Amino acid sequence: MATILIVEDEIPINELIKRNLQAVGHRCISVIDGKSALDEMDKHEVDLVVLDIMLPEIDGYEVFRQIRGTPTIFLTAKGSLTDKVKGLTLGADDYLVKPFEMLELLARVDAVLRRSKKTNKTFELDGVRIDFESRQLFLHNHPVDFTPKEFDLLEVLVNNRNIALSREKLLELAWGYDYVGDTRTVDVHIQKLRKKLEMESRIKTVYKMGYRLEV
Amino acid sequence: MKYRTFLTTLALFLFTFNLGIVIISITTFKDTIRRAQERSLDEHYFITSALLQDFHAVEGRGTDIDSSIPSLLQPYNYLAGDQNVTLVLFKDKELVYSNSSVLSVPNGFLELPGDASRLVSIQESGDRASVLVSGKLPAPYDLYTMVYLYDMTDGIAAWEQMKNMLFFAGLIVSVLFAFGLHILLSKLFRPLSQISQTSRQIAAGAYDTRLPVSGQDELTEMAQSFNNMAKEIQNQIQQLATAAQQKQQFIDNFAHELRTPLTTIYGYAEYIQKVARTEEDKLFATTYIMSESRRLQNIAYRLLDLATLRENKLEQSDVRMEQLMLGVKQALSIMAAEKEVQITWEYRMDTLHCDPDLIHILLVNLIDNSLKACSAGGHIKVVAELENDHKVITIEDNGKGMSAEHLVHITEAFYRVDPSRARNGGGAGLGLTLCKQIADCHGAELHFLSEPGKGTTAKLIFPATRTIR
Repeated sequence: MATILIVEDEIPINELIKRNLQAVGHRCISVIDGKSALDEMDKHEVDLVVLDIMLPEIDGYEVFRQIRGTPTIFLTAKGSLTDKVKGLTLGADDYLVKPFEMLELLARVDAVLRRSKKTNKTFELDGVRIDFESRQLFLHNHPVDFTPKEFDLLEVLVNNRNIALSREKLLELAWGYDYVGDTRTVDVHIQKLRKKLEMESRIKTVYKMGYRLEV
Repeated sequence: MKYRTFLTTLALFLFTFNLGIVIISITTFKDTIRRAQERSLDEHYFITSALLQDFHAVEGRGTDIDSSIPSLLQPYNYLAGDQNVTLVLFKDKELVYSNSSVLSVPNGFLELPGDASRLVSIQESGDRASVLVSGKLPAPYDLYTMVYLYDMTDGIAAWEQMKNMLFFAGLIVSVLFAFGLHILLSKLFRPLSQISQTSRQIAAGAYDTRLPVSGQDELTEMAQSFNNMAKEIQNQIQQLATAAQQKQQFIDNFAHELRTPLTTIYGYAEYIQKVARTEEDKLFATTYIMSESRRLQNIAYRLLDLATLRENKLEQSDVRMEQLMLGVKQALSIMAAEKEVQITWEYRMDTLHCDPDLIHILLVNLIDNSLKACSAGGHIKVVAELENDHKVITIEDNGKGMSAEHLVHITEAFYRVDPSRARNGGGAGLGLTLCKQIADCHGAELHFLSEPGKGTTAKLIFPATRTIR
């Protein structure tokens, strides 16, 4: 759980990012221009800034210069290579071009937070406690046995909680791109996780979609 | 070209010049010989006839001719004073007198016909050349043959010297001529090489290169037209570059215009599919999906408007101003009331020859823009009047205005004064582009004047005559 400042002048997109980030458990502050972004930065401790480049009055690059130090993901409709290079050479942690998939944004947010060590080290839900650093699982304070893939899958579900993930996406995220296998592998592992962690009501099957860890 | 001209001219000159020298040499040579021959013949005749009289006189005195010959011929030795003339007298092929030891007379010269004719020939022996004249004395002394030798080596040597002088002078003249010709041609051809150099530079992309223009001749004229051409090319290239830039800008902006609503639509659809759990969430997302779809639709319609405007003919008629203004007023009254902006309408002309539907769109768009620029309590003045025979509609607001750099671009598609491109009420960014096009269709000019903080004035000037494109 991190505090994320969203600076985006397109209100629908701003709202969309906020809702998705909140769904996976982040605290979000939404602003629609550069000036209020700087104000909010003074008032709160922000772990990450999702920053649109084309903003009224003070543009994204300028905002970035003034908040130097806070991890930043640039978000923009400018997709040309020079724009990307400019964003990255300025020191941005990542660069995302509209239109983007929300899962991609979440993955990048996650990656940047992990780099700046702002990710959660543990996650607790009902009687389950997950220790990401030591890779241990506890149910009602008793260690639970698991396979490495089961833990990877659980980590993906926790990081994208409240978001439905297709079996293909889960395979890609937990097993990796190069895994050649049936999506049924996912079903098997999900069943095992549900049973081991008593999460039948938490890990929901989304009709014709996949699975979602509801928190 | 320059070298070809140079070589051709030089070759032609050398040929003519040397031919002249050769002809002069030959003529002079022939003349020298002819004169030598004539002189020889004259003197031979003179001596012969003098000798004949002497012979008569000697014979009259009864003296032997043969013995007195040396004394008779002695006076003529003055002729040999310059060592050029040799006199030889034969009597029946026997040498009776010679004033020179050097002698060789070809045999044939002594066998002359008896009719007093004389033989003339040129004789060369070693490096010396002589004219030889031989002739018999008239009867009764026809046993005697008088041979006159004129050494013309010196004459030929003089001729040779003259010839050499001529060729030497010719050589110097040729070199001078070549040099002069080269300078002249360089001067003549310099403009040409300048032109080729300049055109190469222009071709290489330096479109602002010009030829120096000086003087008042054909070349100057050519340089001027060349410069005009270069200027024209520069303008054209500039226009093309500007057009290409505008097109690129249009595409960039268009891509951005599409990208933003698409991101929203896709994002909210994804949200419904993957995240939304309550009906409220879904409703929230669908509202955005619908409004953003509407925005795309707006853009599509506007683009279509622009496209049809480009093809369709205007349906023009004389429209009463009250009618036109009323329509615009009605279309905007709600929005003006919402924004608390006051609009005043003035018209000092009765009719306007135009396509009423299009002018309606134009005016609504312009006033709509003014409304957006104005804050609550703002004021917009719409005035239609005659100005120097032109019908002019002016829309003046006291809104936030804009700087000159924006003013140039505002009629470009998707151009937004605010760099954030924040949309007020789902504008497609094509309004002023459409206005400009409608104005163009009517042959009218659309000008904007603006000052940040003070407001903007849009001026629509219709053409003076009624002949509208």
